[in-house]
Amino acid sequence: MRRVAMVGAGMTDFGELFHLGIKEMLPMAVSEAVNSVDKGFDRADVQAAWFGELVSTDGFATGILADSCGLLDIPVSRLENACATGNDAVRHGAMAVASGMYDVVLVVGADKVRETSTRSTFWDWMGMTRDAAWDFPLGLVAPANFALHAARYLHESPAATREHLAMVAVKNHFHGVTNPKAQLRFEITIEQVLNAPMVVEPFGLFDCTPQSDGAAACILVAEELADKYTDRPVWVRGTGLGLDRVMHQHKRDMTTFPATVKAARQAYAMAGIGPDDIDVAEVHDCFTGVELINYEDLGFCEKWGAAKLIEDRETYVGGRIPVNPSGGLKAKGHPPGATGVAQCFELFEQLRGHSTNQVDGATYGLAHNIGGPTAVSAITILSSERG
Amino acid sequence: MSTITSIGTYLPTWGTDRLRQAGDDEDAVTLAVAAGTAAIRAAAGAVEVRCVVFITRDMPLLEGGNSASLLAGLDLPETTRIREVVGGAAVALDEITSAGAGTLIIGADVTDGAGASAVLIGTGGAEVTSLGRVTRSLPVTSRDGAGHRNEYADPRLLRERGVNESLARLGNPKAVAVAGIIGKEAAGMVSGKPPALLTTGASATGFALAALADAGTIGAVLSADQATFSHAELGAGAIAVSRDEPAPQAVPNGRLAPGASVSISLSAYERAFDAKLRLVAASCSNCGTLSYPHRYRCIECGDERPSGSIALPRTGEIYSQATIRVPVPGLVSPYTVTIVELGDTGVRVLVKLTGAPPGSTSIGDRGRMVFRLVAVRQGVPDYGYAFFPGPASDIHTTTPEGAAA
Repeated sequence: MRRVAMVGAGMTDFGELFHLGIKEMLPMAVSEAVNSVDKGFDRADVQAAWFGELVSTDGFATGILADSCGLLDIPVSRLENACATGNDAVRHGAMAVASGMYDVVLVVGADKVRETSTRSTFWDWMGMTRDAAWDFPLGLVAPANFALHAARYLHESPAATREHLAMVAVKNHFHGVTNPKAQLRFEITIEQVLNAPMVVEPFGLFDCTPQSDGAAACILVAEELADKYTDRPVWVRGTGLGLDRVMHQHKRDMTTFPATVKAARQAYAMAGIGPDDIDVAEVHDCFTGVELINYEDLGFCEKWGAAKLIEDRETYVGGRIPVNPSGGLKAKGHPPGATGVAQCFELFEQLRGHSTNQVDGATYGLAHNIGGPTAVSAITILSSERG
Repeated sequence: MSTITSIGTYLPTWGTDRLRQAGDDEDAVTLAVAAGTAAIRAAAGAVEVRCVVFITRDMPLLEGGNSASLLAGLDLPETTRIREVVGGAAVALDEITSAGAGTLIIGADVTDGAGASAVLIGTGGAEVTSLGRVTRSLPVTSRDGAGHRNEYADPRLLRERGVNESLARLGNPKAVAVAGIIGKEAAGMVSGKPPALLTTGASATGFALAALADAGTIGAVLSADQATFSHAELGAGAIAVSRDEPAPQAVPNGRLAPGASVSISLSAYERAFDAKLRLVAASCSNCGTLSYPHRYRCIECGDERPSGSIALPRTGEIYSQATIRVPVPGLVSPYTVTIVELGDTGVRVLVKLTGAPPGSTSIGDRGRMVFRLVAVRQGVPDYGYAFFPGPASDIHTTTPEGAAA
């Protein structure tokens, strides 16, 4: 298997991009990735592309990517894997290069959540994730899927409280302030989080990710070609994808996401490292409690250790294991198809020392998604070291 | 003449001592299931139900479909004879006095006091004999097929030309209970203190008979639908009564968010129907592991041979829960969704909370599974189960021997 280098990455701003359609967002992200390549990049070099998107707007997805980005002469495939779409698209791109089938591939992720009214979005998205006869009519809106986990987690954890959930929101908002691409660039306090209107107990408004539009892209090339494009490539060192029972009533222990544990095991093994080697992580914090569970599932702390980790500010930039320096889904925004690719964009910047919220000397970065709503996880481990 | 073996009653949680209101997850079918279940439980196996008569003025589906849901909720075979009757208290009394052994007569009311009663006819119990009937028209309250109501608002006309004239034609009988008419109109017709009833439609007759049975009173019963009356005599004999009548609670401040109705796939509905409405799990033919909903491949051992079916326990404990406070189009918010572990089966179900205000439960709380509307989807009532917190002993059953069970 060949080593795979990331030589360029880009993303649009995340936010309520009412003024942009998918046909504008895609070329913006792709061009930013192309222009980020240190030694220049001719998009005619791209041999294949993968497009991660949950919900198509304006029609046929891969055709729109090819048409809007000037990629009509290469194969383009669409990939959908719930909220793990982004990192799974990166995984597919990496596989294509590693296998030797292609030397240069483009990975794009995008979604336009705000293309439909907030009212219809509820049922549109529930319809994608729930069994039509059994769960769909219950009104299990997105936050509720995760609240069922968080409520049990808070019930069983000897340490975690709603305040610890709030601390996650405070941290990610703090991190997001310096990120010019982030949707919510303002600081909040624990009191504001706790006193915000309740969405789905135990999540208040500030425990939830906003609804976002956005696109992100990255360019992966074979090791032999990396020098042609940059002297500072970022290496795709590990990928993993894990699954779990789809229905909540079939998940035996809801204080953990087995999908994450499985994906992490694969990615760490492939990279030949462990959680202690990770210098910076972008993890799926669609709701605050999910980030706490992620700390434990990814091995950043022991079981029930998440509360102390956030309490001791160890996941701030400057702490032992900085998490979501970009602001995370919480402050940066969450257009699902783009989210994982945008996490890799942040790690690309971090591992090259260019992030707006830089972790000093970061060598290994981990990007993590969970979705479906909690039945699939995709993880990418990137490093400035070739390995 | 027929013989009443048992009576079951049900009142929704919401409302006051004087008037109950159906929850947004209840309709005539779910009310009927609750009362019918109580009647069958009270009979303690003494009667095999062979026929069901479902009487209401609030039929959820006029093109059919209520009966299958009702039989499933009652856990009766789909081969059971069943009749849907549009009617009120007088019709209910006629049906009760003319039914054969094995007939379950259920009256359910959603409007003007919600509740349901079910009378199970058997061979042991108390005889009830029709004494007369008069069918007259004086529709001071009218409701058309679309549910639009009109009130003529003339209580004196109803008393003089409705009640008094009809009673005169029946020979001015004295009754020990009056169903279907409440308030002053009833006062002149009864001897002693008649039982106070919380409903005025088809269920009122069963509530009246249950009150007489509990008090050990025998005598004449009058049931009225405006100017139409039925008159019967309740004889001596023990009737088992089971009351599923939780203490009233204030109606929660839920709000229906406007927006599109919840969509439905009738293919998926039809496939799930039996398991969902009868609360039946699949039992793996290789390892015995229970799966709910049913699966093609065993969740434990992977066996793919046809599985058996097994009824799940109707009590359980909350494993986790979430209370949705934001408005969700087409639903009444707030609402609580719970994951409930049933008995010691290891089977968990994902269901809504009912019978308690949203957000009022905690993980670990115990309760029972009750038949409810999960949603109305594009006009189709989608039935299933909900979690009703609290001990099952809240249901009060009196055996013919008078001992509370």
